[in-house]
Amino acid sequence: MSGISRRDLIRTGAVGAALLSGNAFASPLDGPRQLPAHLDKGIFAAAVKELRAVVGNEWVFADPETTLPYTKSFTPDPRHEHVPSGAVAPASVEEVQAVLKIANTYKLPLWTVSTGKNMGYGCATPASSGQMILDLKRMNRIIHIDAELGTALVEPGVTYQDLHDYLTENNLPYWIDVPTVGPIVSPVGNTLERGVGYTPYGDHFFMQCGMEVVLADGTIVRTGMGGVKDSTTWQAFKWGYGPYIDGIFTQSNFGVVTKLGFWLMPKPPAFKPFMVRHNEMGDVAKIVDAMRPFRMNNLIPNVVLMMGAAYQIAMFHRREELWDKPESIPDDVVRDFAKKHGLGMWNTYFALYGTDEIIAAVEPIVRRAFEASGGEVLTEKEMGGNLWFEHHKNLMSGQMTLEEKGIMRWRGGGMTCFAPVAPAKGIETQQQTELAKEILGRYGFDYSVAYAIGGRELHHLIFIQYDKENPVEEKKADDCIREMITRFGNRGWAAYRTGVATMDLVARQYGDSHREINARLKQALDPNHILSPGKQGIA
Amino acid sequence: MSSTTPKRLRCRLATFALGLCLMPAASASAGVASTPRAPAVIYAKTCGYCHGQHVAPVIRGRNLPPEIIAQYVRSGPRAMPAFRPTEISDAELKALAQWVSTSKADPKEHEQ
Repeated sequence: MSGISRRDLIRTGAVGAALLSGNAFASPLDGPRQLPAHLDKGIFAAAVKELRAVVGNEWVFADPETTLPYTKSFTPDPRHEHVPSGAVAPASVEEVQAVLKIANTYKLPLWTVSTGKNMGYGCATPASSGQMILDLKRMNRIIHIDAELGTALVEPGVTYQDLHDYLTENNLPYWIDVPTVGPIVSPVGNTLERGVGYTPYGDHFFMQCGMEVVLADGTIVRTGMGGVKDSTTWQAFKWGYGPYIDGIFTQSNFGVVTKLGFWLMPKPPAFKPFMVRHNEMGDVAKIVDAMRPFRMNNLIPNVVLMMGAAYQIAMFHRREELWDKPESIPDDVVRDFAKKHGLGMWNTYFALYGTDEIIAAVEPIVRRAFEASGGEVLTEKEMGGNLWFEHHKNLMSGQMTLEEKGIMRWRGGGMTCFAPVAPAKGIETQQQTELAKEILGRYGFDYSVAYAIGGRELHHLIFIQYDKENPVEEKKADDCIREMITRFGNRGWAAYRTGVATMDLVARQYGDSHREINARLKQALDPNHILSPGKQGIA
Repeated sequence: MSSTTPKRLRCRLATFALGLCLMPAASASAGVASTPRAPAVIYAKTCGYCHGQHVAPVIRGRNLPPEIIAQYVRSGPRAMPAFRPTEISDAELKALAQWVSTSKADPKEHEQ
């Protein structure tokens, strides 16, 4: 059975072990339950019993076998610090309120997930072992789509696939904006993480409008215009009245978001994807300086991806096809392999949207600039059928794909993302690239990156691919990302988002005032600290 | 996925404030009370994006044992994510595993 090893079969669980052989396997769930430090088994069992009474027996998971799917993570966890104690899956806002009441009574920490597929940052695993996962996947209704205003209001369990299907089945002329792995992830989850996609609506939190939040004490809040009786503008106008509070519920643990509104892009009459190919790693500065004015003046309206070749190669190929040694792959080797597949060392994907006339007017302007930067400007004419061109064409038009998952195969199923922000200035981007390559090189990891270009900044998405099956490699990956965070931080470059293992580390870089204000808000909104303790370093 | 929004949920929604216009039942996406999805539908909307698209091994047409398939889905070995009962029920998974196990290979699928 190709692609399926005996090691996999043994590893996959008690059921598997029983089926195949008598061998037990090592897992943190084999032993005593991973309970929060302050809860003993008896109290945990009592809490579980009450939770079952609310959601039904079958929707509370509190044993190794049924908790197994929640423990899956691609990110390093060498000290087993991110193992959940179980999971509870409510079906409604009322059930969420009842669950929170029990959690407050027992001081049971709950780690909330929407679809729990935050794959570069820890999946559904909690910031500290012993938290019970509050799995909102069962709340999966598309509540309302306004066909005139182009707005959507959804529950956390809705996926981009669900939304895509709904728009298609109902013939609604709108596009969605997807992160790279749309089909299995949630607009609610991704937007609350302030993730991005690659159409003009790529800044997901920017395009969010109104939310409903259940606070730790069960109070329901509708932000923005949603507080007004009989409002018809909850998804039309972001800001509402008075202090704008939507932001405090993103990348935080101040409340459980149960509904999220956002805007949908009207399907454009015409759409033309482009790829700009550069042959040298060192071209990164020129590309950024050429791109910046177009993102600022919006002639290029979408969130652009400047892809490093090694990352792209990993999507569809195995490392052994170009390099079989443990140390980092030399640039020359990457370049040669990339060239064979129509790729440069940097491949920058952008698109023009509008009418044919508008696109025809803009195209020569952008072409000139990128050709002057030393790049080849390519379109469907030259690159149609190329796997990567098709992939990015799909992303830039909000289509469904999971091709990006391929990068996880590179060294053995492990991947963790370090995502520092750079200003859209060539020289600093180049410096970040050089620093990243230096650090990765010392650990024998490859420089596998995508720069997502917003208005005046870039998210430098650095994917550390490692062998998760090998404890030595897992420790290396953990050490590597910590060193990256620390040394980038020393240069004033901090991450926009991070995984469960490094939340405190990154939080410290944002200074004492941030931590202080977050701590005060937390104390006010969740005095028992039951909601996702540790998220973004907030206890 | 399709089903009518259960009456109980509709009543709850009606008591919420304000301006929420429920989608016509036939086109509303399924809430928690949805009927099980057919294996071919689940495969097309989840599995098939990786398995058969240069990303993961081809699994159709290989007579893989259904118990192993189900195990893989719940545990997510190596580069594969794990899928929970809230994403695919035990009943749906059993039917899906059987379907994959007994399916013929799809010539349109590509090995990784």
